[in-house]
Amino acid sequence: MATHTLGRTMRPAQHPRRTGTIFYWTAGILVSIIFLVPLLWAVIRSLQPAASITAAPSWNNFTDFTGSNYSDLFSGQIHLWRYIGNSLIVSIGTGVLVAVLSALAGYGFAKFRFAGSGLVFGLIILTLMVPFQAVLTPLFLELNALHLTDSRIGLILFYTTFNLPFGVFVMRNSFASLPPELEESAFIDGCGPIKTLLLVLRPLILPGVATTILFSFLASWTEFLGALTFLTDTNLFTLPVALLNIQSGTYGNLNYGYLVAGSVIAMVPCVILYVALQRFYIGGLSSGAVKG
Amino acid sequence: MIHTDLPPVQAAVTPPPAKRRRGTLTHPSRTGMLLVAPAFLFTLALVVFPLGFAVYISLTNWPLIGRVKFIGFDNYRAIGQDTTFWHATLYTLIYTAIVTVPIFLLGYGMAVLVRSNRRGSVFFRTAVFLPYVIGLSTLSFITLLEVQPGTGAVNTVLKFLGLTDGQTAWLVDTIPATAVICVLVIWAASGLTMMLLMAGMQAIPQEVYESADLDGAGWWAKELRVTLPLLRRTIALTLILSVIGSFLAFNQFYILTQGGPGTSTTTVVMWIYERAFVELHLGAATTLSIILVVVVGIISAIQFFALRQED
Amino acid sequence: MNAGLSRRAVLLGGAGLLLAACGGAGVLDSPDLSAAGFGTKATGTVQLWVRAATQALSAPIVTKFNNTHHDLNVVMTAIPDTQYVTKLATAIRGRNVPDVVDVDDINSTLLAYHDALTDITDLVKPLPYLDKLSPGHLNLATLGGRIYALPYAADVSVLHFNKTLFTKAGLDPAKPPASLAEVVAAARAITKLGDGIKGISFGGNNPGIMGFIGLPSVWASKDYLFRGEPGNQTANVADNRALRTFLQAYQTMWAEGLATTSSRTESGATWGKDFLTGKIGIWPGNEGALVGGGLTKEFATEVGVVPLPGAVSGTCVFDGGDNIAIPRGARNASGAWEYIQFALQTEQQSLLPEAGYTPIRSDVATAVFRAKYPRTAVAVDALPTGYAEKTIAYNTAVNQTSGPFFTMWTRAVFDGDVDGAFAAAQTGFTRALGQAQT
Repeated sequence: MATHTLGRTMRPAQHPRRTGTIFYWTAGILVSIIFLVPLLWAVIRSLQPAASITAAPSWNNFTDFTGSNYSDLFSGQIHLWRYIGNSLIVSIGTGVLVAVLSALAGYGFAKFRFAGSGLVFGLIILTLMVPFQAVLTPLFLELNALHLTDSRIGLILFYTTFNLPFGVFVMRNSFASLPPELEESAFIDGCGPIKTLLLVLRPLILPGVATTILFSFLASWTEFLGALTFLTDTNLFTLPVALLNIQSGTYGNLNYGYLVAGSVIAMVPCVILYVALQRFYIGGLSSGAVKG
Repeated sequence: MIHTDLPPVQAAVTPPPAKRRRGTLTHPSRTGMLLVAPAFLFTLALVVFPLGFAVYISLTNWPLIGRVKFIGFDNYRAIGQDTTFWHATLYTLIYTAIVTVPIFLLGYGMAVLVRSNRRGSVFFRTAVFLPYVIGLSTLSFITLLEVQPGTGAVNTVLKFLGLTDGQTAWLVDTIPATAVICVLVIWAASGLTMMLLMAGMQAIPQEVYESADLDGAGWWAKELRVTLPLLRRTIALTLILSVIGSFLAFNQFYILTQGGPGTSTTTVVMWIYERAFVELHLGAATTLSIILVVVVGIISAIQFFALRQED
Repeated sequence: MNAGLSRRAVLLGGAGLLLAACGGAGVLDSPDLSAAGFGTKATGTVQLWVRAATQALSAPIVTKFNNTHHDLNVVMTAIPDTQYVTKLATAIRGRNVPDVVDVDDINSTLLAYHDALTDITDLVKPLPYLDKLSPGHLNLATLGGRIYALPYAADVSVLHFNKTLFTKAGLDPAKPPASLAEVVAAARAITKLGDGIKGISFGGNNPGIMGFIGLPSVWASKDYLFRGEPGNQTANVADNRALRTFLQAYQTMWAEGLATTSSRTESGATWGKDFLTGKIGIWPGNEGALVGGGLTKEFATEVGVVPLPGAVSGTCVFDGGDNIAIPRGARNASGAWEYIQFALQTEQQSLLPEAGYTPIRSDVATAVFRAKYPRTAVAVDALPTGYAEKTIAYNTAVNQTSGPFFTMWTRAVFDGDVDGAFAAAQTGFTRALGQAQT
């Protein structure tokens, strides 16, 4: 689907002249260096012992690499696996729930007509303008009254709500770009709306779904303030909150080795998911978000 | 955008096709309502309700701990004297103004670079987008480490180039600290702008360029007279995202400067956080939040109407 | 239409109920402390909240308690420090508070002031070791003559110095500095050794640290920053000569290059690590940072410890650390009190130095203890002279990066404008007090 869209509307191939090609590769490589080197640098840092990270740089011990930052994080007192597990449960849960709710709502908004449709759509989209920090405390009190604080489910519900506007927006546009004939033939074959959605339309909206999942996963994976507020039990902490707690002592003594290694670990799932979904993702973005 | 962990698409750019309100045989309106009901209920329960509750809190003295007293509009009247709030607003606006243009220009330039599906373009765009994917909190932690005087990589490189003595304490003075954060944010956020603009450029039909070619238009002419006008909506979208994201900045400032020295790098959201959770004046802080929601709403509304008139 | 109306009614009704549940009470009832067998034969579970920053001190005590009490189980939850007051406040509103809270002693004043803690005066008065407890910590938990918390673990600020460098610089390690002027002189002499050796190092980019290691020099001459009872205080800054002397001394050391350059940027992350390299003469700090930073047995013999010298004369230490209290609304107050009594026994208190903390009972310092923990013994002996400001504005006035203390500190010491900083501070402190006391 994605490649199909791209193929049809590909950019003009501008008689690739030689200077153009040279410029393309030079600029591309330069840009890649600017964006990738700091990240690779962080990986190198994570392999240095904490003492050399915070000492004046010296070639003598620069390459004394060690895996101890990583092994310490996964053993003994820190138990990073637990926090990675929590983060995965919450982020995947959010991604899936947002995708399901957005697909249903997107289908409803794009293909059905009913009283108040515009109003409800506007309300959901307006949520984007509410910085969740503004409602953090009322939200805490509410979730607490519903016994949903200190719970991964509560966190998933919270993240889902604040990622819905984007998902609904993308999915509505994905459905709107589908030709009505598809549905009509399904109806003639006797399929109801839900069956049509599941059997006929599902493969066609995959790019939109992938985009929705990616963005909600990323948002919940890196989210920090909400997790800090809604979770009290250390066993339920997500990765960013756990990383902040690597600090110890009253004045925040910090093992920089652990911090950098933890940060690198936090990057990995984001990068993997992005690369895995990237084929769909661009298509989803151009059909769902950008066209409007 | 990246600055607040909000999802990246803003603004109901087009209103839904809701002119005809009755359902059809194949699309009964009841089914439509049922389909959107779950999303609607989530929004009601976890956005609208807490927002209403927030309005109530803003009318009380609501200390974080202790007894609550209803005080009417006192919190709203007190905003005038909250000099730090106004300073934070000004600082946040300046910060937003500084980062918006470079993020856009860089994003646009890189979108031009990677929009053709030439060999290598997937790699280039992945490289540029990765910082956004990783998130600003993680990147801020790494920045914190690398701008330390005497030991951080930034200072080491500058010393190696002979530009400084490598002892610059970047984060303790207002201007250098702001500069560090701006560079970090421009670097981390331009990937999203690139991605959105690129998707927009790829969605422009090939025929439009072909007819421009027939008119003998050169590269620049096509970029200015075809791409830019057709990209208007996408550009507006990315700008709204970027402006609102910058206006709600919190994480990078919280991690790197804690708003210091003094309150000189305190952003609006940080100040609200501080009023609530350090000074324990939840009522006053929530009042500021409501003002913020209104301001962000106005910014978005202006953009929204500007867009509509163009269509 | 009717169906629609009733749906709406249900929604509104639900929202109303929820709102009522959220609103909660700001203040809960005190548990009954007079029941028969209170604090001795409790059963069930005790929910204990500890500060994440200091959880290392509680873990062994909790384990020991649970191993010796089979009908009573203590469940420990670590709360990040920046969220502690918020969490407790929201727990109060949600009517679901823990049974015992281990809080930053500075915050015990704030929590008691806002009626969050149970008045335990009647339980505390009969304690046989009441007069052995750290008076400064107890003072922070005493409001209007009533006691709301007990000292739990101390984290005091002392002056560390490198004996080897003192000798090399021609100073007498047996006569450590007795005033800030002598600290400056010693720092000057040590810096002259050259070879990257510096006189002093401090965490100048962390307001909490500078209050911790700086203010005791001011308090040594009883020149406190706040006057009056908590909730109704005024700032004593403009005429505070000792405060000025303190700023002036650090400004001199910074301007003359007697301090490490990282003293300006040190925000706590690597605080004290440079002292452990043996290249720093004087380091005002705490035992926790030394233990956490990897103090070796060999280097420990080079470290001298004394209470912080006053600005002009006298000594003082900062009574930091934790107080322990029973929040109002606690369900198992009896079990809570049983844990508190257990934790304050000398056996448990003697475990604290292992985690870098100081026992809060003077009778812990036996000969064996002194031999095993010589540095901590200095801190224990200093507790009777220790102090911490009893105010509900400490966090906003001193601990906060944006607060008036830190603004004054950076402007005076790093910008070199002592007069200007000092002139502006009175207004800043008054404003911070005004904010906290409304």
